[in-house]
Formats: sequence, C-alpha cells, structure tokens
Amino acid sequence: MSFEDKNFEDQLRRSLRREAAPPDFAATVLARAAASRNVISFWRRPLTLALAAGLSIAALLPPTVAEYRRRQEEQAAEARAQVLTALSITKTQLLRVSAKVQKNTRRTL
Amino acid sequence: MKKILILLAAAVTAFATPPFDFKQLDKLGVNAKESTNLTLDGPVLKMASGLMGKSKDADSVKSLIDGLNGIYIRSFEFDAPGKYNEADLEPLRTWLDSQHWSKIVDTRSDKEKSTIYVLPLPDGKFGGLAIVSAEEKEVNVVFIDGQINMDDIAKLGGNMGIPDLSALSNEARKAAKKKEE
Repeated sequence: MSFEDKNFEDQLRRSLRREAAPPDFAATVLARAAASRNVISFWRRPLTLALAAGLSIAALLPPTVAEYRRRQEEQAAEARAQVLTALSITKTQLLRVSAKVQKNTRRTL
Repeated sequence: MKKILILLAAAVTAFATPPFDFKQLDKLGVNAKESTNLTLDGPVLKMASGLMGKSKDADSVKSLIDGLNGIYIRSFEFDAPGKYNEADLEPLRTWLDSQHWSKIVDTRSDKEKSTIYVLPLPDGKFGGLAIVSAEEKEVNVVFIDGQINMDDIAKLGGNMGIPDLSALSNEARKAAKKKEE
C-alpha cells in the first residue's frame, strides 16, 4: 500500500467515523415535529368553521322562521274557529234550554 | 321556604289541571252518529283571542273569552233513541253539585232533561257556566270555566258566525205560538 492510498483510507475512515448526536438533538426534532403538527389546514381553522356554521344558520333561519310563523298562524286560526264553534254551541244550547223552559211554562199555565 | 314551595307547586298544579275529567264523558259518544269534542284551555283561548282582529264583533268575543280558563264541549248525536246511557252524565252532575254550582234552570220532560248550572262568586259574578242537556237522540255538555257574564253571551248575537240569540228566541216563540193555536 502506497503512502497516498493509506492517506486516502485514513481520510475516508475519518469521514465515516461514528459521531455522537448533539445533546439537544432529540428535543429539537420533537419540537419541530410538534410545530408541524400545530399547523391546521384552512378548512379546519376554528374561524373558518364558525364562518361556515354562521352561513349555514343564516341560510336555514329564514325558511325555519317562516315555517314556524305559518304554523303558529294556522294554530291560531284553528283555535279561533274552535272558540267560535264552542261559543256557537253554547249559545244554541242556552236558546234550546230557554225554549224548553218557555214551552213547559206555557204548558203549565 | 320549603312549605312555600310546596304550596306554590300545589297551586300551580290546581290551576293547570282541568276542573273536571271530561274523559269520563267519552263513554257517552261510543254509539254516536256525530260528535263534537272541543277542549279549549287557557293557552288556546289566548291564541284565539290574539287572532280575533279589530272590530266591534271581535271585541265582544274577546272580552268574553279573555276572562276564561277553559271551554269544554261534548256534543253527541245518535241516529236512534236509547243509544247512550244517561247514567254516564252522573259523574259530571255529581261533581257540579259537590263544587257548589247552582242550578239556575232545570227542565225535564218525558224523555229530556236539561240543566243550566252557574258557579256563583261572592261579588255577584259567575265563575263558570255549565249546560247539561240529555235528549232522546242528543246529548250536549257545555262547560265554561272562568268569569263569565251572561250579558256578554247574549251580546254575541249574529257575531262572527255565532247564531243570533234574538232571532232564535223569536223563532222559538213563534213555534210555541203556532203549537198553541
């Protein structure tokens, strides 16, 4: 083995020798991994989600309110009709009983 | 504090429950050809009152129903006599008597029995009106719970589809006269 060959071999050995990692290597790697995990995509950001939820509610609210009002009005109209029917029956019954009383009184007289 | 809460709960329950269990009258309508079953409690009356509109007629109906807690109607028509048991009306009659309702009209004939009850209040007003009418082929029960003025009912003549009291009583008078002649 010539001198040059030996020199090259030494250089290679020095280059490839095992070196211990720096003491804060693990901590640095973990910190970088955590940092990359904290980056949230646009669609998953709370503000985006809140905006989407707000828009959905805004889109759904008017028809829901309109439907609720329509039902309330229907119920009130039905209640009104029922009250008028009830009063009508009451009055008819009062008249019928009063007619019976009149009939019976005349019969007695 | 506990006692007050218990009393309050009892009071709320007492006001929330209907005055009489009208389900007891359901038996009457088993063989009915036609039946009308109306249970209008406080919230329904309030809702109806809100939709009466603004007219003289509406105001008189409103003033009548605003003081009421409930209106209960059970009306059954049968296609032949003897299709219901008159004894099924007894729970209501017994209840009215037990609650010190006064009979202001009690008319009976061979096959008919009609009674009008009112609940007198200390201030000379009425706390309710009940009509129990049993005919051969018809049974009618009207129960109005709450402060009622009989004049208000008379005032409703012809209003909003409610039959005119004077017209009908005139008819009844004419019919009675014809029969006499």
